Amino acid sequence: MTEIEDTLPGPFGALRSQLLDAAAAFAGEGTGGADPVPGILAGLVEDVDRALREELEIFPVCHHSPASALAMARRLREKRPAVIYLELCEDLRPLLDELRNCRLPVALQAFATELDGFPAEWSPLSVVAPVTEASAEYQAIAYALDTPGVELVLVDRSTDHVFQWQPRDDSPADGGEPAAGGGEPEDGVESETGGEDAALHGDAVGIEIGDLRPRFAELEAHLLHHGKVRHWSEWWDQYVEQPLTGADYDTYRQVMVMIGSLFRRLRPERDARHDRDEDRERYMWTRMREHLAASGADPARCLYVCGAFHAASRVEQFGLRADTPYEITPRTATRWQYGLIPSSHSAIEAQFGLAPGSVSIAAATWAKAVKGGGVTPYRLKGQKGEKPKTVRTRRAPEPGGPVADRLSGFLSRPPAPNGLDEDELLGWCVDIVRLARRNGYLASTADAIAVYETSVLLAGLRGRGRPTPYDFQDAAVTCIEKDTVPGRRDVRRLCEILLGGDRVGQVGYDSLPPLARDVLDRLEPLGLDLTKRTIQRALLDLDASPELRPCSDLLWVLRRLLPDNAVRPIMGSRRLGERPIQESWDLDLGRHQRSIVELGYEGVTIEQVLERRLRRTVADPKATAAVALTAVEDAILYLGGGRIADDLGNRAVELLAAERTVDDAPDVLRRIRRLLAYYRTTQATLPKWCERFVTAGYAHYCTLLPTAFLDEDTGVRQVAAMLGFLFSMESLALSLGCDHSQLELAVRQSHPEAPARIALLWAARSQLGLLPVAELRARYDELLANPLVVPSIPLYLSGFVQALEPVPSLAPVVVEVMSKAFARLPDPVLLPWLPKLITTLRDEAAELVPVLVREAGRMFPASLPAVDAWVPPWSARRPAASVPAPVPASAGAAADLVAAHPAVCDAVAGLLGYDAGWRPAPGGAGHGPVAALLAAHDGTAHAVAALIGRP
Amino acid sequence: MTDEMLRAPAEVKYAEELDWLESIDDGPKPFSWRLSPRMVRLFILGSERADGLDREIPQKWFGDRSFVERSIVTLASDRGLLLIGDPGTGKSWLAELLSAAICRNSTLVVQGTAGTTEDHIKYSWNVSMVIAKGQSRESMIPSPIMTAMEQGMIGRFEELTRSTSDVQDALISILSEKYVSIPELDDDNIVFAKPGFSIIATANSRDRGVNDLSSALKRRFNFVRIPVVTNKRSEAEIVRFRTAELMRRHRIELEVPPTLLDILLQSFADLRAAAASATSDDEKLESALSTAEQIGVLEDAILHSQFFGDRTLRAETLAGSLVGSLARRSPEDLAILNKFWHGVIEPRSREDDGAPWQAFLEGGRQALGTLS
Repeated sequence: MTEIEDTLPGPFGALRSQLLDAAAAFAGEGTGGADPVPGILAGLVEDVDRALREELEIFPVCHHSPASALAMARRLREKRPAVIYLELCEDLRPLLDELRNCRLPVALQAFATELDGFPAEWSPLSVVAPVTEASAEYQAIAYALDTPGVELVLVDRSTDHVFQWQPRDDSPADGGEPAAGGGEPEDGVESETGGEDAALHGDAVGIEIGDLRPRFAELEAHLLHHGKVRHWSEWWDQYVEQPLTGADYDTYRQVMVMIGSLFRRLRPERDARHDRDEDRERYMWTRMREHLAASGADPARCLYVCGAFHAASRVEQFGLRADTPYEITPRTATRWQYGLIPSSHSAIEAQFGLAPGSVSIAAATWAKAVKGGGVTPYRLKGQKGEKPKTVRTRRAPEPGGPVADRLSGFLSRPPAPNGLDEDELLGWCVDIVRLARRNGYLASTADAIAVYETSVLLAGLRGRGRPTPYDFQDAAVTCIEKDTVPGRRDVRRLCEILLGGDRVGQVGYDSLPPLARDVLDRLEPLGLDLTKRTIQRALLDLDASPELRPCSDLLWVLRRLLPDNAVRPIMGSRRLGERPIQESWDLDLGRHQRSIVELGYEGVTIEQVLERRLRRTVADPKATAAVALTAVEDAILYLGGGRIADDLGNRAVELLAAERTVDDAPDVLRRIRRLLAYYRTTQATLPKWCERFVTAGYAHYCTLLPTAFLDEDTGVRQVAAMLGFLFSMESLALSLGCDHSQLELAVRQSHPEAPARIALLWAARSQLGLLPVAELRARYDELLANPLVVPSIPLYLSGFVQALEPVPSLAPVVVEVMSKAFARLPDPVLLPWLPKLITTLRDEAAELVPVLVREAGRMFPASLPAVDAWVPPWSARRPAASVPAPVPASAGAAADLVAAHPAVCDAVAGLLGYDAGWRPAPGGAGHGPVAALLAAHDGTAHAVAALIGRP
Repeated sequence: MTDEMLRAPAEVKYAEELDWLESIDDGPKPFSWRLSPRMVRLFILGSERADGLDREIPQKWFGDRSFVERSIVTLASDRGLLLIGDPGTGKSWLAELLSAAICRNSTLVVQGTAGTTEDHIKYSWNVSMVIAKGQSRESMIPSPIMTAMEQGMIGRFEELTRSTSDVQDALISILSEKYVSIPELDDDNIVFAKPGFSIIATANSRDRGVNDLSSALKRRFNFVRIPVVTNKRSEAEIVRFRTAELMRRHRIELEVPPTLLDILLQSFADLRAAAASATSDDEKLESALSTAEQIGVLEDAILHSQFFGDRTLRAETLAGSLVGSLARRSPEDLAILNKFWHGVIEPRSREDDGAPWQAFLEGGRQALGTLS
């Protein structure tokens, strides 16, 4: 605290002693002891005095304050400064030139995904600084950019420093700059923010110029309580904004610095935030001194625009004369991208914890003040949006000369009534009733009268000369709102709409990043205005107008990259090997401008972004072969395949070979089948990676098969998929040099214990010829006959059902075993299993159901009467009469071979149900040149014998 | 006088305060109001140093300032006031305070029930007198609403939506024409409302479907929705205020330890959170968990300790009364409370400062054991 005793010379001496007297009187009746009040009160005056004496003119502002903007416009017209220093991140400077292409409010954004020097979990970093038209900074920017010879210098710390200064243990999204709007919600204040428009900034960290708000909750609560208002914005509006709107420059400056100083002095000691504020002040003053020294500008022709809080700074570096050094830390190596994104009033309110509607009310106040005359605001040339009428500037009193005390007058007078004028209030009352009626409320002229009366009464009760917009809002809610209907706008929201509504900004075409411009250019053939904030339907008849095909391709890529509702296909799909004929789309790009702009930070074209994303996905340490195959599919679908698909495919091979689990096997199988089918139909040869994938997969799954059969954690479905891969890719794999014995060995080595897997193994063995179907049938019949095993039969059945996919040729047997189970299993065993069967079939309908249904359809009679007479093929007795007359075997080498190894024929005959017995062939075995040859080279015969299982 | 009544109406209880306020009130008063709107607000919401009064006026209704302001303003305007809210949010208390402050009479009350008839709103006849002397103003029994009209006071209609629609609609002409005609009489057959007459009705937002207001009636009322207090600080304030009043009424001198008050508030907050996340009615307690319910629980515990305990409020007693008051349905409510006790109270009692929670846990367990 500064010493209180010395007298302050100059204009503020009188006020200071008056305040000190008051403090003394206050302390006299108060508690006594060490009293900080005189120190605070005197400090306020000292801060004001110091700020006003500074050689460099300090212009204190508050965010979203029309009074600040008005004062700024007036001051700029009078002073015409040559250099403007602005409290805004210095690296955002190039973006300001782009503002003229946009419709405000928009937000300047700095964005970084590739972090260096920050914790990786902070990614992506995003900082937004919204700019509205009713703000002092916009006036300064517009003046500086449109006036030749004026330099605009941003002096605040860079966005990189925003995060450098962030404590490492909290994530940037929940800490940081957003104003301290927290605290417990007040009773009954149902805050309803405007839904999606409020989320326009995403989860970015917000920064704003002139954040002016009590830094601890008690002070704010106290001010609200005594001001008899509900929100901070309302307090500010009533006690500072309105009185200052028409004030002269000196009053404005002194009052703002005083309020900044008040909040500064009444803030909790040792507040970490506070230190950051002081660091920022050191930063700004150091930058300004550097700039003045480098450019040699005349300080008298400069203007320093900063928040009122910083105007009352007491850091050692304050002032041009100060020479305390401050070391600015270098930025990290993080690569920052810059751009403009659309913003909205409600997004600003949500970001900075302002009362809903307050920014809209500020905008309305600004518009009114501009219309009322007195100042012509600055406006960037080419700026979109409604243009305010030029009004004749009234010459404000020239402030030049020494600083005079304006504070005393301001502090001692009650705020002049400056509410609504009567006509305006009447207009609002009529309009709100009309608006309410349009929104489904039962409102009539009587309500308009009641709203008017209630507003006036409320204002009287609250000690205001005339109703403020907040009184009007309360009155409207009281008189019009009778019930809350979900989905209907409440009256409070209607009032906000009436008072200017939520204005949503738009980034102009020229300020968009190249990617976004490219997207808009390429969608131009659709003939739609995609900047509109409505959903638009695009109809693409691709056969009739093939020139729309590139649009369709682009839309599909956008569909892949943007949030769900941005582009939505209503009709049409994109799958491998399909060619679209007609498509229709719902396009909502206007409302998703931010997403497109943020895509623009990742690359120059949308294809490049997708390519980078795909490559990043497969390079991820957690990526699996299935993920890589998905990426290949996406690359083919959206990027036309080619080199990138090959690269991704190669990565898939690596991933597959390195995998130690088979959890993804079903997915891998499905995808590689689809890809193989696609390549076979479109290209003459398979790509190299496909061949490698098949051979690697064959070896991989063969190796893992025995363990997978045993492993409890691996599902039957996964094992079935492995078998499916092995069997269905076998011919291809063998042609590429794989060894069939590998598979056979793997199956032989598998010794599962669980019934479902046993059934699966039987199926596999039968596919490999290791287990004849007759034996399989016999084993199953044994199981059915064994009362001890009956309860586990459904588990075997599950295995058989899964076997349909890898061994489709077994379908008749599966139908048979299932029919037998349904026929013979007792209900207590069968019924609990049925739901499981149904869910399995439903989950894997695509693979299992067609096979099963086709086979069942073939086997069961098609008509109802036929069912009675139907005998299942497996239980049909072999009709003896139908045995054809045995055909005498002809003599010769073949007959000799067959006769020498009768088991083969027996087995085949058994399989076909033909049992005619053996008859001696004319002529004996062991004669002729063939027999001699066989006897001489018996190796082949033995090998064949071994193969067919006969020693 | 207050000593002779179990519960004195607000204008009697705060008579002295109202007299004093009236004596210093120099603001403009609408109609025949006894206090100016600002003084009414001050009476209800209490005074602050900044008001510069010689004596302190305690706060009597706790809630957002704007509700009170909107209510006062409505009464000063042409329309009736309808306070809507969940049970136990202090609607009736606010209505009583408003009428006490404005016209010093909060007893002109009609209670809306399914059996309320139009006679209760307008007038009825003293049958024996009609037989003896015929129909005259003398033999007519005016309703509280008609009395309020005749005297230019505030009439109150409690639970408006509980009465049937045709009865409700009797209010329409009263609110728009501001007179009641008595066709049975040949002369002097219209009762005109004097300036200052208005109606405060209350409606339970949970019962709104029972007999919803007609649009014509809705149009004649301004609605002020009173939400359940969720702000812990104001809730603690309300519970403390009302309990002190109840204890004064029962002449009990017993101290409510702040830790126990905290436990009570915290438990209700937790139960409300649980109710908010419940998906079906079976997972929700039947009770609305309002502030009034909390006061009821505390009062019950206090009375219990006073008459059956050792005149100190203990956590066990509080737990017992909480369980007893909230377990209305068996087994649903009991199951919810059981789950709550195991899932929320038990972990709390294991924390560092969990000593009172420990006793609370035990008491609740016992109570649940007895009930189930």
